This record gives sequence, C-alpha cells and structure tokens, in this order.
Amino acid sequence: MYNDDNLATLTCGVSPMSAELVPMSDPASTSPLEQLLIERIRKGAIELPLLPQVASRILAMVYDPDAEAAKLAALIHQDQALAAHVIRIANSPAYMTRNPVVSLQHAVSMLGMNLMSELAFSASIKGSAFKVPGWDGEVKSLWHYSLASGAYAKEIARMRRFNVESAYLCGLLHGIGRPVVLQTLVALSKELGTVLTQDVLHQLLDGYYIQVGLMVADDWGLPPPVVESIGFHVDYHYAKTAKQECMTTCLAGRLAKHFLDSEGFDEATVREHPIFADLNLYPKDIDALLAHKDKVQAVVEAMPL
Amino acid sequence: MMPASAYDIVVVGSGPAGQKAAIQGAKAGKKVVLIEQEPGIGGNCVYRGTIPSKTLRETAVQFERLKRSNEVFEGKMRLDVPMSVLLHRLDEVVKAHECYMAGQLTRNGVTYRHGRARLLSPHEVQLETVDGACQTLTADMIVLATGSRPSSIPQIPVDHEHVLDSDSILSMIYLPRSLTILGGGVIACEYAATFALLGVEVTIIDRAKRPLPFMDQEIVAVFQRSIERQGGRFYSGHTVTEVSWDGVSSVVARLANGMAVKSEKMLVALGRQPNVEELNLEAAGLSLDEKGHLPVNEYGQTAVPHIFAAGDMLGRPPALASQAMEDGRRAVSHALGLPVGDSANQVPVGIYTIPEIASIGLDEEQAADRYRGPIVGRAPFTEIAKGQITGACEGLLKLVADPSGERLLGVQIVGEHATELIHLGQMALQDGATIDRFIDTIFSFPTFAEAYRVAALDILGQRRKRQDQAQAA
Repeated sequence: MYNDDNLATLTCGVSPMSAELVPMSDPASTSPLEQLLIERIRKGAIELPLLPQVASRILAMVYDPDAEAAKLAALIHQDQALAAHVIRIANSPAYMTRNPVVSLQHAVSMLGMNLMSELAFSASIKGSAFKVPGWDGEVKSLWHYSLASGAYAKEIARMRRFNVESAYLCGLLHGIGRPVVLQTLVALSKELGTVLTQDVLHQLLDGYYIQVGLMVADDWGLPPPVVESIGFHVDYHYAKTAKQECMTTCLAGRLAKHFLDSEGFDEATVREHPIFADLNLYPKDIDALLAHKDKVQAVVEAMPL
Repeated sequence: MMPASAYDIVVVGSGPAGQKAAIQGAKAGKKVVLIEQEPGIGGNCVYRGTIPSKTLRETAVQFERLKRSNEVFEGKMRLDVPMSVLLHRLDEVVKAHECYMAGQLTRNGVTYRHGRARLLSPHEVQLETVDGACQTLTADMIVLATGSRPSSIPQIPVDHEHVLDSDSILSMIYLPRSLTILGGGVIACEYAATFALLGVEVTIIDRAKRPLPFMDQEIVAVFQRSIERQGGRFYSGHTVTEVSWDGVSSVVARLANGMAVKSEKMLVALGRQPNVEELNLEAAGLSLDEKGHLPVNEYGQTAVPHIFAAGDMLGRPPALASQAMEDGRRAVSHALGLPVGDSANQVPVGIYTIPEIASIGLDEEQAADRYRGPIVGRAPFTEIAKGQITGACEGLLKLVADPSGERLLGVQIVGEHATELIHLGQMALQDGATIDRFIDTIFSFPTFAEAYRVAALDILGQRRKRQDQAQAA
C-alpha cells in the first residue's frame, strides 16, 4: 500500500514543488535503481504518458465556462472506444438513472455535463497512464486508489460546502505520478538487470511520486488547483492558493487507502492524523464520511481497468 | 474525560452575539469561557456570511466605479474570471478580523475554547474537542449563541455544485453566466445585486409580492430598478414547486404556474434555521416552540432563568450582526443586574445591496398606521451635488415626520453610503431631534448628508402648505 506520510521526511519540510531531490535513504547506501531514478527525474528524462487529445480537450472544457454539452458529446464521439466506455459506465449501478442510457447524447443529458466530463476524463487517462504490462495487480490497485480518492474528495467537499466542482479531479489525479514511477522503475530494473521487489517498489513509489506527478502535471497543463493538490496534498500547510483543495485531497487519499485496505490501514489509523482537526471535522463528521463506503465502491466498480 | 472546570458564564458560539455576551460578562468581572466549534473566532459571519459576501460586493462596486470611468479606461471584465480572483482580499480581511477579535477577547480575559458544546444539565456543558476528547464545564449562567444555517427544503436539493446555498455560493470556481436566486430576503437581494453588477444574468424568484417586504416599498423600488437595469429579473409572487439539474448545463426551477426558469447555477436563500440540534436542550429542561425556535423573553432569557439565547439562533428576521451584538450584551447585562438601556429599540437595518438600503424608526406605511397623515420628506440623490459628482444619482432619502411635520419618526435611505448615512438619523431619533434641526444644521458641501436637509426642507414646504390649508378652512 502507498504511504503518503513518507514525503515529509523526504522533503525535510521544504515545499515539494521547490525541493531539491534527495535520496530517501543514506546516499552511501542508495541502491543503483534509486540513483538511476533520481538521475532520470533530475534530467527530466522520465517517459511521461501522453495526455490523450480527447482528455486534454475535455479538461479544457471542464474549466471553460462557455463549454456546451453538445461540444462534449461531439468530443467523446471522436473516440469510439471512449464513447462505448462512457455509455457502459453511465449504465453501471453507480450512475444509472431511471431508464437505461442508450446513446452518448442520452448519457450527457441524463448524467450532466460535469459528471460526464469526469467520467470521460477518467476513462481516457486510464488507458494512457495506468498501463504497465506485467504489473496488472499494482496498476489496478493504483487505479482504484485514484478513483476512490476522487469520489471521497467530492464527498468531503460537499460536507464542507467548499469547491465541490474541482474536488474530483484533485482527488483523482493527486497520485498520477505513481503509475509513471512504476513504469519507470520497471524499465530501469530491466536496464540494470535487477529484480524489482515489492518492498523496494513501494518505498520508491512513495518517495518519488510527487515529483514525477508534478512533471506529468506540467506536461499535461493541468489546472492550478490540481497541480497544487499533487504537490501539496501531504504538506498542505505549504499550499499557496489551493490549500482547501490540498487538505481535501489529503483526507480523500487517507479514506481511499482505508477503503482499499481496511485491515492494513484500519479505521483507528485513518483517524490518527491532524488533517481531521485541520479540516475541523469532528468524530461525528468522520463517521459520516466513512459511511460513504458503498457510494465509493459503486464509483470504483463502475470503471474497471 | 477531563475534570470539570467551573465558570461564572459559559458562552456557546463566538459570532457577534456570543462575542459581545462574553466581553460584557468579563467586563463585569466574571470568569467567562467562550466555546466555538469552528477553528476561528467570529462564527459564520466571518467565514461564510457577512465578511466574504461584503468582500465580493466591494469588488463588484469597484468594478462598477471603473465602468463609470469608461471614457478614461477602456476595459471589460473577462467572463471566465475565477472567483478566487474576485475574492483575492478575503484572506487578508478574515485574518485581520480574526486578529482583532482574538485581541479583544484576550484583553478582556475571556477564555476561548475550540470545540462543540452540548448541555448535560441546566448548569453543565460538555465540550468535545475536534479530536473527540470531552470535558465538562459548569456555569452559573449559560448564553447560547450558536447562530443559524441556510434552511433546507426537501423539494430543493442543494448539492453545493449546481444548486448552492449562502454557505457554498462563494466556493464556485467561476462566475456563472446566469444565476437563479430563490428568495427575496436580505441574503437573496444582496447576492443578486453583487452578481448582477459582476455581469451575471440574475433572476430572483420569490413567493412574496416584492423583495424585502419588510422595507419601505418606494425605497425597495429604487433597488429593483437598479437590478433590472443590470439585466436582472424579478419573478415575485411565484412559488417554486421543483428544482432539478437538467443533466446538461442548467438548473431548472419549475414554478406553480407551469413556467420553467433555467440558469447555470442556483442560489437557494429561503431563510435560515437555528443551530440547535447539537445542543441537547432537553438535558437542561429546554424545548423548542412549534417553529423550531427557542422561546425567550425580551432579554433573551429562556424558560430556565439562568440560560439565555442571543443572535440569529432566535430566528428573528432580518438577521443582523448589529442586532445579534446587542442581544448578547443585553442578555448578560440583564442577568447581572446591569443597566440594559433601550438601544435595542433603535437598531438600524442596513442592507448591502447595490445601492445600499438602510432604515431606522417608522417607515411611511408604519407611520400611516399610527398617525393620521404623517408628512414624508424626500431627497432624491439626483438633487444632491455629491450624487451628481460621483455619478451615484440612484438614491433617495426619506424622512418620516408626525402630522405636524415637526417630530422625526423615521428615516429610510437607498443609495450609496446609505448604511453610513442612517446613523445621523439614528442619533436624531435617539435625541428626539426635530425636523427643523436638520434645516438649521449646516452640512458640508458636497456630501450625501445634505440629503437630510433637502428632505427636511421638503417637509417644511408640506407643513406650511398644510398650515395654509388649515387656516383657509
């Protein structure tokens, strides 16, 4: 499982957006794999997934107040696989309306433009970023974590009556660096002829996903609140303009982690974090958030990898 | 559970009512604790109400002033301007407000505790901190000032995304192109004015025949015309039967007459409900009336004599911060046997629409109910040099006098600086000043305050005419 808590030590309390990259362990004992990863990150030589053109245009549409539903439907239509995927998701129990959704236009009109944008964007990045042959289990779990984080972020924002519109994307994408680090590590270990163990993998994922996530954000031109949520969801106190979104994302990540591994990351552990106090959420509020489990489950099941 | 702590006064809620109650108690030498469930002092007024909405309003007003100078500056506001840009000063304003309020409490020796309060008995309050730890506080006197929240109505589902309430409206990412506002009260009208000035197409729907029904009709009409000039629409006397998101791009409000009103976002401002659920009132022997309010006497005293309630939780419209402050002071003063004063009868109503509206004392209609033929003097801002100079001619000051045209009964103003100007009328009313006092007073020129003299002269003219008619008869 992923550990966001390590980042504070990695960056020594310095903003991850400006921090000099340092090895997680003692430089003398840093493994060749980690050294190579650091070098690649420093040089910007990480192979970043391409943001599918459709996703890029959908993203622009989400933040465009002049966007129209007809344009969105036309965009999704351009990618047949995406269109079919969206209709299938629209008919899943998490989203299904009173009548079955039979066409893309119908889906847009029944589910609403924002929700459709979210679905279409999620579906389109899934194919590009979340693909590492031979590591299906890991990728699947990262994907579920992203979806659950997006769903929880929306619920937290609703409870706090703050920025519901942007919460989903912040939650969904805050860990976008993880699959990229995974892909890079798989390629690098092949290059070095070493075996990538689970322990090493998780340690390096935890250590470098934020820096790599920020590279992806820059490359994809993600909106500012999403970029800040990637960079500051752990050290949210350093966030400049989107502190609320960063705090929401931080909590969404913890709840998602518990949702995916309720034994390894139990309820008591979830509650042990200052984020609840910082968001001014009392025990009753936390109970209410945890009670959204079924809703989150439906969202995750609606979009399998 | 931590050991109990004993206080003379426990105040629950740090909004305007709670703060003033706590300070009044501390000034009288009492040991006071103030409990607030939010992390900062000030209640909704600071974080979701007055301060944020007035900060946005100020941006809109500045924008309007720039528009007035269009011959000098050629400019147009971008449609996709983020709300965070429009509210860029909010953090500074809130921090400054928090800082001065915290200083005030510290100076007066009030203990501040962050947590949720619930009554355990008539003299015991449980404090639950955000991490779940509980402590019992005992008190000789308890002041409940937990404020209010937007009312929720089953047929109008507020999702804080498309359909918002006054707590979430300012968390929109962008200014919407169109906004339907349900309600015609203070919050509805203030937001309508601000958003209309920012270029949003605003539609107000309300059951009442006109917005702000408790205010002078002629004054409100000036505000209505102003909104309509900005492109806003009023659907008064209409009931909304259903609200839904059309699934594409609009929120649809269906009216009882079959009409459907579409907009990008909706603000539901259909009144407020008191925050009482968490208080466990029964444990102290208190109960709510059929409207869900806590019954109190004129001093805010409940059925349990040492427990008082103050501010918005009393559910008295219009919910004014100034009234809440007075409630808090009054409750504690009464409980401690201090002079209460009669200033509660003269609290001005200030509404931050654009233009502003303010009122004190009797309006024309109320005066007509009590007196036979009260005289009303008017000063349109078009006749005030300051109005012409600043381009703020949209305004009217009304002085209401008794039938002899001598005694001042009330003042109503709509126009720039109305909420400041009203205090001159308030002082005059409190001092029992005559209409002639305004005529004999020399005001600076050019000022909006001159409107008082113009309106008083209007009364003088009518008074003479009436005297002439009486003599002729």
